[in-house]
Amino acid sequence: MTSTARWLARRLALSVLVVVGAATVAFGALQVVPGDPVHVMMGGAAPSPEVYQQTRHELGYDRPLPVRYGRFLGQLLRGDLGRSYQLHRPVAEVIGSQLWPTVQLALAGFGLAFVVAAALAVATAGRRSGWRRLSSAAELVMISTPGFWVGVLLLTAFSFRLQLFPVAGGDSLDGLVLPAVTLALGLIGVFAQVMREGLERALEQPFVLSARARGSGETAVRLRHALRHALIPMVTLAGWIVGTLLGGAVLVETIFSREGLGRITATAIAGRDLPLVTGVAVVAATIFTLLNIAVDLLYRVIDPRMKEVIR
Amino acid sequence: MNTRIQGGGRRTRAVRRTTSLVAVLALAGVTAAACGGSDDASGTPAADATPVAGGKLTYATIQEPGCLDPGYDPSTVTGVINRNIFDSLVSQTATGETKPWLATSWTVSPDGKTYRFSLRDGVRFHDGSAFDATAVKATFDHAVDPATKSLYAGALLSAYQETRVIDPRTAEVVLERPDATFLQSVGTPSLGIQSPASLRRSAEELCTKPVGSGAFTFVSWTKNRDLVLAKNTAYQWAPDAASHDGPAYLDGITFQFISDDTARFGALTSGQVQVVNNVPAANIRTLKANNSLQYLRADSPGLTFSLLLNPTREPLSDVRVRRALLRAVNLDELVTSVYFGEYRRAWSLLSPTTIGYDKSLEGTWKVDQALANRLLDEAGWTERDGDGFRTKDGKRLTVVWRTGAQLDRDSRGVVAQGVQADAKKVGIDLQYISEDVGTFSQHIFAADLDIWGGSYQRPDGDILRFAFASDQGITKGGGNLYGLNDATLDRLLNEASTTTDTAVRTKNWAEAQQYIIDNALAVPLTVGANLVGASEKVHGLRFEQSSNLAFFDTWLDPTK
Repeated sequence: MTSTARWLARRLALSVLVVVGAATVAFGALQVVPGDPVHVMMGGAAPSPEVYQQTRHELGYDRPLPVRYGRFLGQLLRGDLGRSYQLHRPVAEVIGSQLWPTVQLALAGFGLAFVVAAALAVATAGRRSGWRRLSSAAELVMISTPGFWVGVLLLTAFSFRLQLFPVAGGDSLDGLVLPAVTLALGLIGVFAQVMREGLERALEQPFVLSARARGSGETAVRLRHALRHALIPMVTLAGWIVGTLLGGAVLVETIFSREGLGRITATAIAGRDLPLVTGVAVVAATIFTLLNIAVDLLYRVIDPRMKEVIR
Repeated sequence: MNTRIQGGGRRTRAVRRTTSLVAVLALAGVTAAACGGSDDASGTPAADATPVAGGKLTYATIQEPGCLDPGYDPSTVTGVINRNIFDSLVSQTATGETKPWLATSWTVSPDGKTYRFSLRDGVRFHDGSAFDATAVKATFDHAVDPATKSLYAGALLSAYQETRVIDPRTAEVVLERPDATFLQSVGTPSLGIQSPASLRRSAEELCTKPVGSGAFTFVSWTKNRDLVLAKNTAYQWAPDAASHDGPAYLDGITFQFISDDTARFGALTSGQVQVVNNVPAANIRTLKANNSLQYLRADSPGLTFSLLLNPTREPLSDVRVRRALLRAVNLDELVTSVYFGEYRRAWSLLSPTTIGYDKSLEGTWKVDQALANRLLDEAGWTERDGDGFRTKDGKRLTVVWRTGAQLDRDSRGVVAQGVQADAKKVGIDLQYISEDVGTFSQHIFAADLDIWGGSYQRPDGDILRFAFASDQGITKGGGNLYGLNDATLDRLLNEASTTTDTAVRTKNWAEAQQYIIDNALAVPLTVGANLVGASEKVHGLRFEQSSNLAFFDTWLDPTK
């Protein structure tokens, strides 16, 4: 138990470095992109010299880069993410208000994709039937179809024609359906392929044979014994999944006019809103590292042999 | 002698209304097309129907404001929203005539530098405080305060010196120099009067919780989603330019931000919203064919979508090359094929609904590629290289048109390709380069552009001064990108901006427009328009002279 606690403490300490690193990369990236950030932040309007100087001063761009970076780090370590230049609000507040809609969307999309993919995988793994070929083909189509197109198709069918769901749903459950489906469709293919692969490998294991020998039915074997093994690669994919969900949110939130972190981030990057971009980078990096720690912790629970491997 | 402009009594209203409606259709180019050609009057502004109060309207718009402080934010959508929340000292008719509003009358001193406004009594802000001269002073001082970092309102008041509070009902605005566009500026939503108590709050609160005296009060704004306004039931100070007195008809307006073209148009056709803007030109036919929808459009005033050519750099420093480019583009064909006839081609740098537009330019510079070829031959670009482009002393005739990726809206990239193809026909290698906004702004501030392509929505010809006068350099907050120092344009445009004589202004602006075409300082391309789709339920939807939608007289037909 102490080994786990020590491991956790070390991982948490390291994750602080990762978060500071991510913030630094975001800070640095916005320094090297061309163009005067003050002009870009002012939205392309030609400001009067007084307004320009005032803005430049408020943003701290009249000070040398090391000084700015030092201040930035100092603020960050105090937990102050600064104020968004374009939204005129504290970054922490902006992210706080936009995080939940995105998490809602991501969870709904993930849940949907997981359930559908698991059903597909369980139904078709190890079976050389036409269903499997059909399922594989459908998965391939889903993986390769861009989200913005799927979103517009779904809108046309279910919102414009059938009028079952609103075009811009706000925070109602109705409004979450089409965005979540759009996000899920891109993931189902990957999930199903990964799980089917895992299932097929598990079905070849001796424990499946012994389960069958005990007289378990095929469905029970798949659901109770094999599926759990097939889920391990999914846990490994967690980091990728979070990234895909956040990236997908940018598109989905734009098409469905949802509030959320994805859209805010895209606008902030385009407008060079440095405090907001670094703020989002910090939050995203924190989520990623915490999730990775949780995943590694989960491995140790799922498969005690991993304790030896992951330190 | 003081010029006195007195606000008309309410009794004369009905008469004025009729004339102004005719004027709208004739001058402002506002066409409200009845759709489907059916016998119902849904598409027309239903002058005969009696307005009914009640109901909420949802308007899906492509843009979202960054900040609702009118003194700070320059974007069009902010103006459209703020027009409902804030009242101005003066109002403007759809043709740009100035009428009383919060100021019942005003006088201008003979030197054109002092404006004395008599203010309306009984006006209250949404926070309950009374409107008086200190509010005028607070609003204008706020706009010019460097701490506000105003991106537009401050520029409107570039001649502003101070506001003197003579008494609660009288405010005197003193300018450093005469400014003929001052009253026009005061009437824009950017200089809408804010509650002085509200102005003492932080920039964040000014941006997110606007307090004015307008016909609608601010309720909520959910970023990336919608902004909700509710009727101000106490409203009794409608502008003289409006069609009715008293509170607005609508109980509330929701501005829904739907940036995706397909989703926005679908929201209208499926009845989920009642009004949408920026209808893609390709969807107009569907809109017209639908009996339960109406199509309205208004040409935008200001600078047409144009190419400003840089005469300070090779090869466009040669007027013959510039003229060749101007005459090489087959605009009629290009604009029709890209916009299906919904946008018009431009004949002047100013759009037809701009105050000061010179109609005599129409038809004067039709496409003439033979002439363009002759001009280029004369200019010495006689050789051709392997790709068919003209060369001189072994150098290819190349001009570069850079643009910011985010500025490529409204199929402008397609227009650019058409211009490029036509330029190639006469041997000009026109390169259209789309770059990120940072890189693009770097090029702008380094003044190393051959061509700038864009438009500016402004009410009158003074936009020409912004773009061409020598004191309007880009580092001084102006729009003279290339640092031009043209004595003729300086004289015409500066005189037009300071004279109080309307005839002189009109004449100077006309001469400036002709001078720009004669010297091919610009290639005007298309006249931008506000293309709006609305449900047949919606009546009394009006365009302001700015081509922005106004909702004060709007009402919903409960029988539809």
